Amino acid sequence: MPDRDQNRLRILDTGLRPAAENMAFNRALLECHQEGHSPHTLRFLQFEPCALVGFHQNVDQEIHADYCREQGIAIQRRITGGGAIYFDATQLGWELYLDKQFLGTADMGRIAERICTAAAEGMQKLGVDARFRPRNDIEVDGRKISGTGGAFDGDSILYQGTLLIEFDVEDMLRILRIPAEKLSDKAIESARDRVANMATLLGQTPDLDYVKRTIAESIAREFAVEAAPADLLPEEDAAFREALAEIDSDEWVYQRNRPATDAPLHEAVYRCDGGLMRVGAAVDPERSHLKQLWITGDVFVKPTRTIADLEASLKDTPVAEMEDRVRAFFGEREVEMLQLTPDDFVAAIRAALVQAEAEEAAE
Amino acid sequence: MDCNGCEFHPELFYDDEYQIWLRREDDDTLTVGMTDLSQTIAGKIIHVRVRRPGTRRPPGKPVATIESGKWAGPIPNFIDCKIVEGNEEVLENPVLLNSDPYNAWIARVEATNGADAALAEFVTGDKAHEGYCRRAREDDIECQRKLR
Repeated sequence: MPDRDQNRLRILDTGLRPAAENMAFNRALLECHQEGHSPHTLRFLQFEPCALVGFHQNVDQEIHADYCREQGIAIQRRITGGGAIYFDATQLGWELYLDKQFLGTADMGRIAERICTAAAEGMQKLGVDARFRPRNDIEVDGRKISGTGGAFDGDSILYQGTLLIEFDVEDMLRILRIPAEKLSDKAIESARDRVANMATLLGQTPDLDYVKRTIAESIAREFAVEAAPADLLPEEDAAFREALAEIDSDEWVYQRNRPATDAPLHEAVYRCDGGLMRVGAAVDPERSHLKQLWITGDVFVKPTRTIADLEASLKDTPVAEMEDRVRAFFGEREVEMLQLTPDDFVAAIRAALVQAEAEEAAE
Repeated sequence: MDCNGCEFHPELFYDDEYQIWLRREDDDTLTVGMTDLSQTIAGKIIHVRVRRPGTRRPPGKPVATIESGKWAGPIPNFIDCKIVEGNEEVLENPVLLNSDPYNAWIARVEATNGADAALAEFVTGDKAHEGYCRRAREDDIECQRKLR
């Protein structure tokens, strides 16, 4: 076990950087932390415009790569898990390098929850009602304001998130291959309903230094540590240069984990007494796995965030478990619905899955 | 032989933190998998990637990586080895690592200095059982093989 001060948190601010440099810092700092050289660290970072895929994702499946190249938007691969994201200078990146001893648990779900809850508290201090939503997002009233993901190496972990300060949903839809864009003519409104940003919520763009200070204070309080700014260590800088040479390359960015299993979007429209629901389902046919769902419609459901929560809870679900999950979801909470039952959601999602099977069989 | 509901197999070989298991095959290759403890800590696994067959991996450089929830990271590797193959079934359906961690092997590797020399660094049998149970207790891990 490295001899590390468990009561101190270094605050490192690496400023605005190209994506490759930010990814190389991730690799270098996690590696140095795992080797016991680095202190526990909170890093703030910003990106020149870029599209980032998750560690195990394929660029061509997730990103409109041609559009990015035309627009000079960098494409990079993260070392953390999760989905593709668009990043530019209007978002603030935050990340923590800690170890399991510090966190007091090895349970990855609990670690994510604890870090997200601490970060969400910082956002609350800034004046928005941010909360952790299981499966690793921080949201304000059902809308995502910070997406997060992590990487581990031995006992060390890196956990990172975005904070949307200002955000242009249209840019994101042009860059990421989000099946939602095909869902309806109102795709942009629909995507806008699912994300929130600080500037809109607060009525003005908050001062970035103030945001960083506030988040750092909340995280330090949550973990009962002293946080203070400090520079990169010489060995970290050397590791950074080495990592950059590997990461700033097509071999790293375009590596393929395995033959592409495309997860096309299948749509169905379902009518019932409660209204009309439109369901889009991205299915991984080889694994019979529901990757993601999008549900829209003119149905009445309260609280309004329920549908976003249902979508989140059904991410990466075996198709065979869908029905049980939907029923368990509604069994766990109080939801007010007008002429609508959990059965309607099951039937609507099933309709999209039947569509998926039919299209698969036809190919 | 279970500890805190975590399945244990005395005939397998384990690292000192009981993250991976190793089994020697008749052709002197080693089969690598994740322990029940590891899969429980990781949570539902949604991606597995094994390095290309033929790739040489020194100790510390992973043979495979996994992703669960939104966490990505290596399956730790402690031996100098060459990848022989990845388990196609697991690559297709990573959640098998959660539901059946001792049948759902991840990769077969060839140890550079032979299987015996490699396995000498690992624990097995009663000693492993004791350490495995200690880790389950100390880290308060209750295994669940049910899909989450």
